[in-house]
Amino acid sequence: MKKPFLLILISIFLLPLVVRPAIASEIWIFAIFGLGANLLLGYTGLLSFGQSTFFGSAAYVAGWMMKVHGINAFLALVAGIGVGALSAAAVGYLCVQRSGLYFIMLTFALNQLFYFTAYQWTSVTGGEDGMPGVPRPALAGIDFKDPLIYYAFVSLLFLLALFLMKRITESPLGKILQAIRENEVRAEAVGYNVPRFKLLAFVVGGAFSGLAGVLYAMLFGIVPLEAISFVFSGNVVFATLIGGSGSLYGPVIGSFVFIWLSESMSTVWARWPLLLGVAFVLVVMFLRGGLVEAWTRFWTWRSSKQRD
Amino acid sequence: MSFVAAQILNGIATGMLYALMGLGLSLVTGILNIPNFAHGALFAIGAYLLATVAVAIGNFWIALLIAPVGVALLGLAIEYAGIRRLYAAGHDYQLLFTFGLALILSESIILIWGPIGSSYLPPAILRGGADLGFTMYPKYRLFVMMAAGVLVFATWLFLEKTRYGAIMRAGIENKEMVSLLGIDIQKLFTVAFGLGAWLAGIAGALTAPIRGLNPGMGPDMLGIAFVVVALGGLGNLLGAIAAGLIIGVAQALVAAYWTEASTVVIYAVMAVILLVRPQGLFGIR
Amino acid sequence: MALLETKRLTKSFGALTAVNGVSLAVEAGSLHSIIGPNGAGKTTLFNLLTGTFPPTSGQILFDQNDITGTPASRVAHLGLARSYQRTTVFPAFSLFDNVWVAAFATGKSWKGLLHKKTSDYAEVTGRARQALQDVGLEQKSTQLARQLSHGEQRQLELAIALAAAPRVLLLDEPAAGLSPEETRRMVALVRALKGRYTMVLIEHKMDIIMSVSDRISVMHFGSLIAEGTPAEIQKNADVRRAYLGGVAA
Repeated sequence: MKKPFLLILISIFLLPLVVRPAIASEIWIFAIFGLGANLLLGYTGLLSFGQSTFFGSAAYVAGWMMKVHGINAFLALVAGIGVGALSAAAVGYLCVQRSGLYFIMLTFALNQLFYFTAYQWTSVTGGEDGMPGVPRPALAGIDFKDPLIYYAFVSLLFLLALFLMKRITESPLGKILQAIRENEVRAEAVGYNVPRFKLLAFVVGGAFSGLAGVLYAMLFGIVPLEAISFVFSGNVVFATLIGGSGSLYGPVIGSFVFIWLSESMSTVWARWPLLLGVAFVLVVMFLRGGLVEAWTRFWTWRSSKQRD
Repeated sequence: MSFVAAQILNGIATGMLYALMGLGLSLVTGILNIPNFAHGALFAIGAYLLATVAVAIGNFWIALLIAPVGVALLGLAIEYAGIRRLYAAGHDYQLLFTFGLALILSESIILIWGPIGSSYLPPAILRGGADLGFTMYPKYRLFVMMAAGVLVFATWLFLEKTRYGAIMRAGIENKEMVSLLGIDIQKLFTVAFGLGAWLAGIAGALTAPIRGLNPGMGPDMLGIAFVVVALGGLGNLLGAIAAGLIIGVAQALVAAYWTEASTVVIYAVMAVILLVRPQGLFGIR
Repeated sequence: MALLETKRLTKSFGALTAVNGVSLAVEAGSLHSIIGPNGAGKTTLFNLLTGTFPPTSGQILFDQNDITGTPASRVAHLGLARSYQRTTVFPAFSLFDNVWVAAFATGKSWKGLLHKKTSDYAEVTGRARQALQDVGLEQKSTQLARQLSHGEQRQLELAIALAAAPRVLLLDEPAAGLSPEETRRMVALVRALKGRYTMVLIEHKMDIIMSVSDRISVMHFGSLIAEGTPAEIQKNADVRRAYLGGVAA
C-alpha cells in the first residue's frame, strides 16, 4: 500500500475525533466532488466553472425521489450518479466546441441556467429556502441516522470513488485526456476525436459530482440553493487548485483544507465569504502550484539547507 | 398591442444595458486575455455609488458622472495591485483571483450598505411616463435607452475611429503585433481594464433607478455579461449589441406572460442559439 | 499504382487561394517530395490531406477511396500520419507516453478504455517501443519530452507519426532548425524508412531532396508548376525561375 493512501486511511479514522461527524462527512463528500472536477481541470485541462450544475441537479433529483417517492439509499445514489452524468453530458455538449475563455464563460452561464431554474421552481426546489426534508433512508438494514454510521458509509464510498478515479487516470482514457491537455492539435492528429473525449470527461466527472451531490443532500437533510450556485463551482475549483490540480490526491487534500477552514470561519463571522475571497487572492499571489507543490518546495529547500 | 410594444421597449432598454456590460467585459477579457469574474461586482458598485453620491450631494446628474469614474478608479487599482502580476499565470489562477475579488467586493457591499436591498428613484424630471402615442412609457427608461445607445455609439467611435481604439482592437487580435509596433502593452492593459470597469460602472449607475439596489445584482449581471460575450464574440461590438438586444427583448417578452421564467430565459435563449449556431452569432471560436 | 491522390484540390482563405487546383499522385512505396518557396502552400496542402480543414473544392483519394472532408481524427485511422514543421509533441509526457498515446489511437481495440492499465496493451506497447527504436530514442524513453534538445524533439516528432503504424507518412520539414550533424542523422533516418512507408516529404534543403526523393513536385503560389524525377526538376526552367523570384535564370 502506498503512502498517500495510508495517510488517507488514517485521516478517515482520526477525523471524527477532531471535528463533528457532519463536517468530517462533508470533507470526504467534497473530496469526491473534487475528484470529478479534477478530471476536467487537472487531467483534461478544461477549466469548468460550472461543476455545481451536476452536483446540485443530482442533489435535487435524488433528494426529491427520496423525499416524495421514498426510494432507498442505493437507488438514490444510482439516480444521483445518472443525473450528474446526464446534466454533464448536456452542458458538455454545448461547451466542448469552445476553448479558452469562451469555455469558462459558457460553463458559468449554463451553471446560471440551472441555478435560476432551481431558484424559480419553488414548488419542487423550495427556491431560496432550499429543499428541506430529505430523508436518510436505510440500506440493507443499516440505519444511517447515526451520524457516525453515515460517516462510515460516506468514507467507504469516498474510498471507492478514489479507487475508481485512480483506475480511470491510469487507464488509456486518462492518458488520452492528458494528451488533449498537453497538445490538443496533436491529439486530434494522432486519431482522437477531441470533442468527444472532452464530452466523456464531462460525463465521468459529472457522475462523480452527482454521487457527491446525493451524499450531501442526505448528510444535511436539505438541498440548499447554494449547492447549485456558481459560488459552489468556484469553491471546488479553489479546493482543487490549493491541493494541486496536477495529481490524483490534490483535490482530496484541497477539500480537506477548504472544508475545514470554511466551516471554522463560517461559525465565527457571517461575512466569512469575504475572508474566503481574501484567501483566494492570497493563494493566487503566493501559493501558485498548490499545497502539494509548496510541500515539495519546502522539503527541497530544507534538504538543501541541511547540506550546506 | 400597446402592452407588447411597451415590453419590447423595456427589452430594448435593458438590452442596451446588457450590451454595455458585455462590451466592457469583452474589452477586458479580449485585450487582457483573462476571465474577469469581478465584472459583475463592479457593476453593482456602480449602482450603489450612484445612489450614495446622489443622496449625499442631492444631484443625480453629477452622481451619474462621478459613480462610474469611482468604479473606473477601483478598476485601475485592481489592475495595478493584482491583475498585472497574473498575465503569465494560467486562466485557472486568473479565474480564482477575479472570483476571489468578486467575493470580496460583494461581501464589502453587504458590509457597507447592508444585506437588504433598497429602491432608488430616478430624478424628478425623469419620473412618470411619456405618451409615445401607442403607449405610455416611463421617461427614465427612455433616457436609459438613449444614454446607453449614445455610450455604445461613443465606444464604437472610439474603437473604430481613434488611433488608440485601433490599438485596442489590434490588442485583441494580435498582442505580439502591438508590442512590435512599440506600444506599451502594459499601459494598454491598464487602460482597457479601466475602460471596462467604467462601462460596468455606468451600466450599474443607470440600472439603479430601474431595478433598485441589492447585493445579488452583481452576480446576476455577471452571468448576463458572459452570455453577451459568448454569443457576440470577444471585442465584437456589433455582436455585443445584437446579443444584448436579443436576450433583453426575449426576457421582457417572456416576463410579460411568465414572470418566473424571466431570468432563466436569458440562459435558455443562449443555449438554444449555441445549439443551432455553435460558433455564436457572428462566427467565433 | 497511386496510393494517395488529389484532384484539382483548392483551398481559399477569403481572397487568398493557398492551394490552387493541385492534382498530385503519390505512388505506393515511393518517396514523393514537395518543394517550393515559403508561402507556396505546401503546409496547407498537408493540412488538407490530413483533414485539418476541408478543401474549398477538389478531391482527395486514398487507396482509391474518396476521403475528401474526412476529419483529422478519422484520417489517422485510415493510415495517414503526419509530422509537423513546428514541433508539436506532448511536453509533460515521457517519450514513451508520447508514442504510446499515438500508438493506442490506431490500436486494434479500445476495449477497457476506462479501466484497464496502459501496460495491459501489449501490442500497443510493442509498437510504441518500436517507434522510439526506429528514431533512436529508445534509451531515453523515460525522459520528459520538454527536456529534450531541439534535435531530439524533431526525432520524437517523427516517432509519434511512426507509432500509428501508418501506410502513408507525411513529413513536414523534418530537418527544420537542425544542425548539419543532426540533419545528416535525420536524412539517414528518412532514408532508412524509405520503402517501409509511402512518404510525402516537404523540405527546403535542396541537397536532402535531391538525394532521397523518387519524385518531386514543385509548388509556387499555391499551384503545381512542375513534377518529375530529381534530375528532371534540376533542369526545369520554370523551377529555377520560381526559386530565383522571376529573374531570368
